[in-house]
Amino acid sequence: MIEHVPVLLIALPILAAVVPTILGIRFDRVGWPVAVLGMLVHAALAVALAMTVLGGRRISYEVGGFLAPFGIELVADAFTAILVLLIGAVGLAVLAYARTAGPRTNSFYGLYLLLVAGLTGMTVTGDVFNLYVFLEITGLAAYGMVATGDRADAAVAALKYLLIGTVGASLYLLGVGYAFVGTGTLNMADMAEKLATLGYDSPLVLTAFGLVVGGLVVKIALYPLHTWQPDAYSTAPDSVSTLISALVSTVAAYALARILFSVFTVDFFLAVPIAQYALLAIASVSIVAGSLLAVTQTDIQRMLAYSSVSQFGLVVVGIALATPIAVVGAIVHLVGHAVMKGGLFAASGIVRRKTGVKSVEEFDGLADRAPIAAACFAVLSLAMVGVPPAVGFVGKWYIVVGAVRAGQWAVLAVVLASTLLTLAYFLRLIERMYFTAPDHGAGHDGESEPVGDAPVADGGQPAVSTGMVALIVVASITAVALGLVVPAIESALQPTLLEVLGL
Amino acid sequence: MSEVDTLLPLAAILVSALAIPVILALGKRPNLREGATFVAAFLKFAIVASFVPGVLAGTRYVTDLGVFATGIELSLRVDALGLLFALLASTLWIVASVYSIGYMRGLSEHTQTRYFAAFAASLAATIGVAFSANLLTLFLFYELLTVATYPLVTHDETPEARAAGRKYLAYTFGGGVAVLGGTALIFWLTGTTAFTPGGIAGLVSQDPTVARLAFVLLAGGFGVKAALMPMHSWLPDAMVAPTPVSGLLHAVAVVKSGVFGIARLVLDVYGTDGVAELGMSLPLAAIAAFTLVAASIIALRQDNLKRRLAYSTISQLSYIVLGLALLDEYALIGGLLHIPAHGFMKLTLFLCAGAIHVETHTDNISEMAGIGRRMPITMAAFAIAAAGMAGIPLLAGFVSKWYLVIGAVNTGGTIFAGALLLSGILNIAYFWPIVYQAFFESPEQHDDKPLIEHPRGGRGGVRLDGGEERDGSDSEDDTGQVDGQDGGRAHAGEEHHDHGTGWERRDWFGSEASWFVLAPILATATGSILIGVAPSIVVFLEIIEEIVDALPLVVSLL
Repeated sequence: MIEHVPVLLIALPILAAVVPTILGIRFDRVGWPVAVLGMLVHAALAVALAMTVLGGRRISYEVGGFLAPFGIELVADAFTAILVLLIGAVGLAVLAYARTAGPRTNSFYGLYLLLVAGLTGMTVTGDVFNLYVFLEITGLAAYGMVATGDRADAAVAALKYLLIGTVGASLYLLGVGYAFVGTGTLNMADMAEKLATLGYDSPLVLTAFGLVVGGLVVKIALYPLHTWQPDAYSTAPDSVSTLISALVSTVAAYALARILFSVFTVDFFLAVPIAQYALLAIASVSIVAGSLLAVTQTDIQRMLAYSSVSQFGLVVVGIALATPIAVVGAIVHLVGHAVMKGGLFAASGIVRRKTGVKSVEEFDGLADRAPIAAACFAVLSLAMVGVPPAVGFVGKWYIVVGAVRAGQWAVLAVVLASTLLTLAYFLRLIERMYFTAPDHGAGHDGESEPVGDAPVADGGQPAVSTGMVALIVVASITAVALGLVVPAIESALQPTLLEVLGL
Repeated sequence: MSEVDTLLPLAAILVSALAIPVILALGKRPNLREGATFVAAFLKFAIVASFVPGVLAGTRYVTDLGVFATGIELSLRVDALGLLFALLASTLWIVASVYSIGYMRGLSEHTQTRYFAAFAASLAATIGVAFSANLLTLFLFYELLTVATYPLVTHDETPEARAAGRKYLAYTFGGGVAVLGGTALIFWLTGTTAFTPGGIAGLVSQDPTVARLAFVLLAGGFGVKAALMPMHSWLPDAMVAPTPVSGLLHAVAVVKSGVFGIARLVLDVYGTDGVAELGMSLPLAAIAAFTLVAASIIALRQDNLKRRLAYSTISQLSYIVLGLALLDEYALIGGLLHIPAHGFMKLTLFLCAGAIHVETHTDNISEMAGIGRRMPITMAAFAIAAAGMAGIPLLAGFVSKWYLVIGAVNTGGTIFAGALLLSGILNIAYFWPIVYQAFFESPEQHDDKPLIEHPRGGRGGVRLDGGEERDGSDSEDDTGQVDGQDGGRAHAGEEHHDHGTGWERRDWFGSEASWFVLAPILATATGSILIGVAPSIVVFLEIIEEIVDALPLVVSLL
């Protein structure tokens, strides 16, 4: 039974995605309950998967009974399990938020479940073309969800996201195509062997690498291919930006790691060191550029989007260093960032709904107007900066140690500087919230009516529900507590990592 | 040396951490809220004091909180050095809390709940720094100390306070980043970051260049909080904080945590042998000596009393760093003894400055002529502490300076002895005029102060404690400043300095200020005298001898 879990994890959300539309013929507002049910089942399956593989086992499943490498193989190891758990947990948690905040249409929840299915598929698959399919499914669901925002610029942002995202996915597909031409297989494990025999420095392999990585870098939104992200995150409804910021780039980064370690393997980096340096360079530039751009922003959600650009630079540094300790750091930061950034977007949404505050200047005195949201915002910001013992620090520590051990001094300096850079754009918010009195003169211009996100106007419900507040409180506590759980994660990952990194 | 596994070190930290929610909840009942602070402070002192007999007998108290990641082992260990710092901080917290009541209520300050809660958090982090058993645990509490003290620096919520807070965070987080880098390098070289008396084995021999780099990063990182030049400029700006904050935190807890970090670095990470082998002793001593002298010179030109005290702090902290850098037994004793000695003396000075502010709203030295009439006890305590700073015998500063000078001469670094003596003279130069004019001059008739009044002098520095502009007339008129203090004008005894009529005379029996304010001043002044007259009775010297006895020592710099 357990070996069917990978395929059930994908199939059930897809089936569930259709239900709201069908039931919508008869019932109204049936999307949310169906989504909750679907996510509960998904989460349960994720836990079952995790309990099986966290310890070094691998599950593989051949779809349709077609033997690998001809059929599609789904593979789950410890790394996969962590991501699937994250998807399940965040997907479920954001529903608590979306109940009051989110769009309430049935089609939205259909897209929601489709997004979860796509993300899970990307995580569980063992086939590079299948990865592309789920990449596109995720992308299409995400474009659609971004477009459900009320505003005209949401439509533009969604279109921009669609165009740039499709370019990225197409680059990835092209890369896969070249790899297929060279190796004759699409199965990850098989391709790894065949690439080795092809020779890592052959132009075909190098091109495939460049295109695949380029495509995924667009999806992760590293500088300078990040331009879709600020618009999409700031114009999307709050539930959507919470969900997408926590999961989509995260899973794309996982996909990058998976392709690097399971298809190209660490031996590729050893044979072609320039590839590793290039990736490290792009990631380091992203850390710096993302932070600098974040500092210049006035809109909160745009600032958080640029912050993601910077943080994912940190994650890709960990991945590109390709040593066990650095990769653990990358994974820890991946999960931690998902919790922190999702929490920050949720908090900014609550703040906007309660007080109408959208921009940095309006944050003055927010601690009095929205005390819980302000406190959670402060805790999550400090966790992101890397104040111990929060998870943001732990991930950073691992990556620092990894950089030191690898002798990458320039990268080390950038990673250390990232603390100060992150502080630069978060400090002013904390300062404004707690230590600046609101300027009563200008306040009324900036304040707008609290905005509901649903296309259908809602008369009776409060702007901010307990569920929403509970979400950000839980996120804040998790951000700190997760730092303490890391040893368990690390020891669970160790056997898998050593295998994946070929050690 | 026996080790005892106990949760008491953790309890010492958590006592005030757990007080935070209590204080926050009691916000509407100020007396109960202050009571919570006192309960936490006394408990903390009691726990820390309970370690003294054991540590002096050679026992070490250990709490192992587990491994939280590769290399991140959170553990606490009470040894002599940590106990020295913790004892100082916990004793002075009690004093500062009493004073805070008088100060904050005297000025009707706003957000007092946040203030007391942040104070409790800061002390929890300070004790955490003191009892850390390895570099990473120290880093954790070091960063938490920065975060906990930030609300206190920006307490006033004026633009200057916010700017000072920004600068404070930028500098201290920058220092933290350097410490993190250094710690990672040490971890890479030796596989551990645990404090080992005499130095971590194999650190220096593995790779001297990287070991030097790590030393520079760590010393630089800790040096930011220790206000070594050129990383000192956050400290004078941080004087916008309320005076108890400037006194306890920025003269005792925060800056001493930086110095403490350097002490751990020299004694327990590299060991005195290691530092000498790497040749890092002379550069560190040189920077310390330069800071000593330069800060004293800058202090001469400050008109604002708290800024002058800030530069004096910068100078005095470098006494400690110099003592550590010289690596000689006497220098180490002198440097380490200066930690409590300077703590008591500087706190006295700051508390006096705060008392003057509360009672007369005077912040600038040039306006304090004759203030000894109005505040005799305060200025007497000020005189005692100032004398101690200069190194006058029978006061705390003399004993530590004596050891330091002997140590400097022992190692052949006579130039350092010269710097110490020069600094002593400069101390007199910038403290004596304050004392003299307080008792022997009056507003109508006082000598010129060319260093301050010259166009390039110190007038016009940062306005502190509310930023009230002084130009000889009543100032009820602060426009546009969000400032809690102006609301509290109705307290008794308040008056403006007024050059026309001079100060009102007050007697020597405590009518000059609230006893909440005076009692702490007298306590710290007495402490300064006690440390000077009978240093071993006050247990600090014994603890320090315990520290130094355990070390292999290097005698000469050359």
